Amino acid sequence: MFRKREIKKLLQEKPFVESQETNTSSDIPLDSVEFLKIIQQKLHYSADFKTIKISNLTIIYIDTQVNIKELNQNIIGHLKNVQVYTEKNVITEIAVSEIQKSYSMKNGMLSILKGSVGIHIDQTSTLLLINIPTDNNRSLSKPENESQVVGPQIGFNESLATNISLIRRYITTTDLHNERFVIGSRTNTEVSLLYIDGLASQAMVTRFKEKIKSIDVDGLLDSAVLNQLISDNALSIFPQMLLTERPDRICDGLLNGKLAILVEGSTMAILCPLSFIEFFESREDYNVRWPIASFIRLLRIIAMLLSVFFTALYVAALSFHYEVIPQALLVPLGESRSRVPFPPLFEALLLEFIIELLREAGARLPTKVGQTMGIVGGIVIGTAAVQAGFTSNILIIIVALSALASFTTPSYTMGSLIRIIRFPLLFLAGFWGFYGIMFGFCIILIHLLRLTTLESPYLAPFYPPRFADWLDSIVRLPIKFTFRRPQLARPQNRNKYNPDKVK
Amino acid sequence: MEVILKMKPNQLVNAFLVFFIIHTTQVGVGLQGFQRIIYRDAQQDAWISVLISGVATSLLVFIIIKTLELYGSTDLYGIQHDVFGILIGKVLNCFYIFYSLLSFFVVLRNYIEVIQAWIFPELPLWFLSMSMLILVTYGINSGVRSIIGISFFSVILSLWLLLFISYPIKFARIDHLLPMFEADLISLLKGAYNMTFTVLGFEILYIIYPYLKEKKKVMKFAQLGILFTTFIYTALMIVAITYFNGVQLEKTVWATLSLFKIVRLPFIERFEYVAITFWMLIILPNLIFYMWSACRGMERVFKVSIKRSVWLFSLIVIISVQLIITRTQVNHLNDLFAKCAFFVVACYPFILFSFAWLKKKVFNKGIGT
Repeated sequence: MFRKREIKKLLQEKPFVESQETNTSSDIPLDSVEFLKIIQQKLHYSADFKTIKISNLTIIYIDTQVNIKELNQNIIGHLKNVQVYTEKNVITEIAVSEIQKSYSMKNGMLSILKGSVGIHIDQTSTLLLINIPTDNNRSLSKPENESQVVGPQIGFNESLATNISLIRRYITTTDLHNERFVIGSRTNTEVSLLYIDGLASQAMVTRFKEKIKSIDVDGLLDSAVLNQLISDNALSIFPQMLLTERPDRICDGLLNGKLAILVEGSTMAILCPLSFIEFFESREDYNVRWPIASFIRLLRIIAMLLSVFFTALYVAALSFHYEVIPQALLVPLGESRSRVPFPPLFEALLLEFIIELLREAGARLPTKVGQTMGIVGGIVIGTAAVQAGFTSNILIIIVALSALASFTTPSYTMGSLIRIIRFPLLFLAGFWGFYGIMFGFCIILIHLLRLTTLESPYLAPFYPPRFADWLDSIVRLPIKFTFRRPQLARPQNRNKYNPDKVK
Repeated sequence: MEVILKMKPNQLVNAFLVFFIIHTTQVGVGLQGFQRIIYRDAQQDAWISVLISGVATSLLVFIIIKTLELYGSTDLYGIQHDVFGILIGKVLNCFYIFYSLLSFFVVLRNYIEVIQAWIFPELPLWFLSMSMLILVTYGINSGVRSIIGISFFSVILSLWLLLFISYPIKFARIDHLLPMFEADLISLLKGAYNMTFTVLGFEILYIIYPYLKEKKKVMKFAQLGILFTTFIYTALMIVAITYFNGVQLEKTVWATLSLFKIVRLPFIERFEYVAITFWMLIILPNLIFYMWSACRGMERVFKVSIKRSVWLFSLIVIISVQLIITRTQVNHLNDLFAKCAFFVVACYPFILFSFAWLKKKVFNKGIGT
């Protein structure tokens, strides 16, 4: 804990602002030889640790972490002009904006590890830290996993600073709060909490900060892990916070009073609180006209239901309730199933398994081979399975349809949930028919009612019923009517704009 | 025992949800085949009996809410404790816990009966009761708000079933209703009395009342709930009378389900299979509310936590469900229960109200004295 607090203090230090520490509490040795010895011991004589001595200055850095060009031009190049080295003229000579003074060995070390150059002046107990990290980020690209037709085509990359700048490009206001935390005792990963002051509920922000501070892990490599660590019900299969790589989706959430969390080194940002239905919404719904948006949203909901229940209904109907199938349909069904030696449950499980196999292989394979996978999977296995009498034609249609439907969900995590949840339902249907399916449905319903997202109800706005928010849930009505922010995040300001002035 | 209950704000729910609570607790197993027993007494005027029972329930709800309003924020267990004193109060509270459990049992047994008769004759009793108890336990463990949520979704998600009731109207013969107003008052009232088992459920108000936010609006929404239920019952009664002829109806045990039988869609036939299994969602709030009020009684009277008493009661139900096996036994149970319920639901509220009113207004005694 103590260590974490120290790091936090360091990260909040602003350039040229004297920190609270005084010279007396400094643990940096006055003598530069001793200083160098301690540093090298702490770094275990690391191969990429470099030192330069210029008169009474000791310049230390890790050459894989700093921008060598900038070091040469703006630090060493300038320091050569000076004859007398004091702290003051070192600071004025160096042509880099981010200079910090540190009195603590530990903070200094951490900063050097993250890409700072340290300058120690002999016979002083301060360490000047000049931040010039290497610029080894991937350039911004399209959000591959959440593509949209209408809307911006830019996604987050692995750099926290770039991601925040992307958000600031959309939301230019002084009210945008950015709070830093450090998580992970070994990785010391920087985490940013973003919210708009005056919109986000203070209670929620406090609750969230408590959650983040209570995390005690040794490493945090991705926001997806953080997402699992801070969600209300960690054992549930349902995602309770959104993971997205689209800056516009995050900004939309921020403008509705939600909180966003960005993690250094992660291309996904977390948005919370998020209700169940919002996982089926996409930013694109606001970019197209409202009838189209409403249609697409309804389509997604139907696709979700279809994907979860269709195969199970097929199995149940064929195993127990063939009376419900109309006669005209019973004939082709019987014909296509006449050569299949397995019971419907086994047949469906086999095919679902093959589809999952293809999907997983497709996700792992390089793009060029991926196309071959489609052909092998779709045509070869599909046709062969039917001709070999393994499965019926109709089941192939149903299974393929439900696999397709599961991909219409904009959120990848929700999409995979839909695919997984099918299997228990298949078993229930295979053993107890419609009764089993209904049992599964009731369990899911009660489970959804139990869930909370940042201690707000997960099934909002349906339950508890907030009728004003229904206008922008499974349908999207014209902008004129959806002027209220959803109540889920308990925004401080309910109205987005004056509805009378919007056409 | 504390008479006045102070709830935390995060336990309270909006008053308009009473509409859904009342509606779901009323609609349940009774709806599947109430037409026959009413028709036996009131013949083609059976729909008038249904209306009479609707008016009666509305009056009863009025009395129940008035009793609760005398205290502000309490439940039946608190009132009985306050009005009748510690000993008699405790006995009456135990009796109400038993009544709730009995209602639970009757609803469960009747639903199992339907499942076994229509869909799965070979599924054993213990399996069906166990699966329903899993749902009930899971529901109760998720708290009052979620329980009310289940009743909300139960109404919303099953409204579409009503549409299919319009299907038999195509074959309805309106002259089955004629001659009107032929039955005398006695047989009409007898019919209304037979509705007891079907309209039962609104007594949940006694227990759920402290959890409602705006107490002033409770009356309005509770009456709306009753109105909606009565509307559905009357509509179903009329459809059944016009669709079936008299002899047929007297022999049809589950008339509502038989009405679903003729629904025919391009991709589905024998719609009653869907309707009966979907009925689980309609039954579930019933079961959960009855079990919950029993458990709530255990918590209030004996300070046993709800989670524990759920397990205890589930065990009792699973064992006792094995005792009633045949159709005649189930019928017998229903008749017995209807008699018992008629007293609890139709007579007792008046008695309780007059005692509570006397104590408060005439003797001017404070709460807890």
